[in-house]
Amino acid sequence: MNTIIELHNLSKVYNPKTIPVYAVNGVDLQIEEGEFTALVGPSGSGKTTLLNLIGGLDYPSGGEVKIEGVDITKMNENKLIDFRLKNIGFVFQAYNLIPVLTARENVEFVMLMQKKPKIERDKLVADLLTEVGLSDKRDSRPSELSGGQQQRVAVARALASKPRFILADEPTANLDSKSATNLLEIMAKLNKEDHMTFLFSTHDQRVIDKARRIVTLVDGKVISDTKNQPH
Amino acid sequence: MMLLKIAWRNIWRNKMRSIVVLSSVAIGLFAGMFMIAFFQGLMKQEVDNAIETQLSHIQVHNPVFPEDKEVGALIENGSGLLEKFKQDPAVKAASGRVITTGMISCASTAAGVEIHGIVVSDEKNISSVTVDLTEGSYFSRGGKNEIVIGKKLAGKLAVQLHSKIVLTIQTKSGDLTAGSFRVAGLFRSRNSSFDETTVFTKQDDLAQLLGTGKEIHEIALLLKDGKQADPIAASYKKQYPSLLVQTWSEIEPEMAMLTGLMDQMMYIIIGIILLALMFGIINTMLMAVLERQREFGMLMAIGMNKVRVFFMVLLESFMLTCIGLPAGILLTIVFVRYFASRGIDLSAFSEALSQLGFSSIVYPELQQSMFLPITLMTALSAILSAIYPALKALQFKPAVAIHKI
Repeated sequence: MNTIIELHNLSKVYNPKTIPVYAVNGVDLQIEEGEFTALVGPSGSGKTTLLNLIGGLDYPSGGEVKIEGVDITKMNENKLIDFRLKNIGFVFQAYNLIPVLTARENVEFVMLMQKKPKIERDKLVADLLTEVGLSDKRDSRPSELSGGQQQRVAVARALASKPRFILADEPTANLDSKSATNLLEIMAKLNKEDHMTFLFSTHDQRVIDKARRIVTLVDGKVISDTKNQPH
Repeated sequence: MMLLKIAWRNIWRNKMRSIVVLSSVAIGLFAGMFMIAFFQGLMKQEVDNAIETQLSHIQVHNPVFPEDKEVGALIENGSGLLEKFKQDPAVKAASGRVITTGMISCASTAAGVEIHGIVVSDEKNISSVTVDLTEGSYFSRGGKNEIVIGKKLAGKLAVQLHSKIVLTIQTKSGDLTAGSFRVAGLFRSRNSSFDETTVFTKQDDLAQLLGTGKEIHEIALLLKDGKQADPIAASYKKQYPSLLVQTWSEIEPEMAMLTGLMDQMMYIIIGIILLALMFGIINTMLMAVLERQREFGMLMAIGMNKVRVFFMVLLESFMLTCIGLPAGILLTIVFVRYFASRGIDLSAFSEALSQLGFSSIVYPELQQSMFLPITLMTALSAILSAIYPALKALQFKPAVAIHKI
C-alpha cells in the first residue's frame, strides 16, 4: 500500500513568545492509501488542529506534512489552495455548504473550479448524489435539507474533486443517531468499494467503532495508534 | 458562470441590505445628475437671458468704442454693414444701436444710465425687453421722445408711466445737451442691475440729440445657431479687420468663466456625493463579507482561489450597481422632465438671484452627453467601494474562518 500522508515531528504552537500552547506537539504519523482512520481524543487534544495542518488550512510551527511525498508546508497560500482543490476532500462539522446553491450545484462547484467539462460534471454529480442517496434532492437548497442530508451532500462534494483522501472534522457531531449511522455507512462503503482514504476526528463512539485504525491524541501528542476491528 | 450565479443569488440573501445599496446607487446617481441638470439649466438661462436682453451672440463695434463709449467712435458705413449682416443666412436677426452714457433725471433725483437708441422693428427681433415689458408699450404709440426704462430705475427715480424725465448727454461735438422724454414703458428683465442702468429710446431721437445722423455705434447679431458664434465671429473678423467683432463670451468673459467654473463646481459636488455613496457601500459590503466569514473560509478550504473570492465580492457590488444605475437614470429623466416643464421656483431668493442675473425659476436641463460620464463615475465608485471588503475577505484564514458562527 502507498503512504499518502506522512507527518514528521509536526508541531503547532500558539503564543510562542508569551505563554506557549502546544496544540500539536511532535506528531509522527503515516496514513496509507485506503485506510479508514479515526482521530480521537478529548476536547482540546489537537484533533482539529492536526486535521487543519494535514489539509493545508494552516501552517505548522515545525515539522513536515508530506502528501504523497510532497511537503505542503513549503507551499505558499495560492499553491496550497490549488493543491487542496486537486488532492483533498473536506467534510466539516457544520456541513458548510454554499447556501445559495442547490445540492447539485454544490457538488458541481468544485468540478467547475477544476474546469472539468460539462458532460463529465453532469455524470459525476448524478452518480455521487445517487451514491449518497440524494438524487431526489438534487434541486434543493441546503436550507431545504435536514442536517444529515446536508452532510451527505458535503460528502458528495468532497468526492467530486476525485481527491486522494478525505478529511472529516467531527462529521457526525451535529447529526441525530439515524443520520449519523446513515452517513457512516456511506463513508464506509466508499472506503471499501472505491478505496477512498478517510481520516476523521470524532468523539462519537459509533464512528470510532466503524474505524479500522484509531489514533488517540492527548495534549497534542499521539499516545496510541491501534488497529480496530469494525463492527 | 457559476461565480455569476453565486454572486447574483448572494445579493438577494439579504434583500433589505441589497435594496439599501442599490437605492444608494440610484439616489447617488440621481442626485449627481439632477444637480448637474439644475446648474446647467441655471447657467443656460443666465447666458440666454444675457444674450436675449443685452449681448446677442455677436457684437460689432468701432475698436475704440467699448473702452470709453465715446460718441464719435462710430462704425464706418454702419447702416450698409447692418444690411449686409441681415442678408447672411447664418444670422437670424440684426439690430443697429446708437449707444451713449448720460444722466437721467426727474424733479427729485438723478442717476447715471446707458442709453440705447434703437430701431424698434429691428430690436424687437433681437431683444426680449419687449417681452419683459410690465407696463405701457414698446414705442408703439409712435410719439417723439419716448423712453422705455427698467421698473427698478423708475422706482429709484420715483417716476411712473407717462412721467417726464430729462436725459443729459454729451454730443458728438463734445457739448452737453439735454432732452426731455416721456416714459412710454417699464420693463423688468431677470437682471436687476441691467434694469437699473439701461434705458431705451428710438434711434432717431437719440441721434438727433447726439448729432450722429444715421450712423451707429453697435451692430448686434442674433444667430440661428448660437453654438456657431465662435466660427462665425472668426470669419467676420477676417472679413472686417478694421472692426471689433466679439462673441458674447468675449464681451462678458466673466460670464463665460462662471459657466466653466460652474462645470468644475458640479464635478466637485458630484465627487462629494459619490464619496458619501462609496462609504455607504463599503459599510454595507463589509457587513456582508464579515457575516459570511465561515462561508469564505469554506470556499477557500475547498479550493476557491483568492482571485475568484475577490471577484465574487466585486461582482456582487457590480450587480447591485447595474440594477441601481438604470433606476437612477430613470429617476433623473422623470424628475428633470417634470421640472424642465414646470421649473423650480426659487422666488424666496429672487432678489439675490436677480442681482446676479439669474432667474428665480430654474428649468433644469441635462445634456445627453452627461449621462455617460456620470453613469461611469457612479459605477466606478460602486466597484471601487467593494475593493476594501473584497480584500478583507482575502485576509480570512480558512482554518479560523470555517469555525466562525
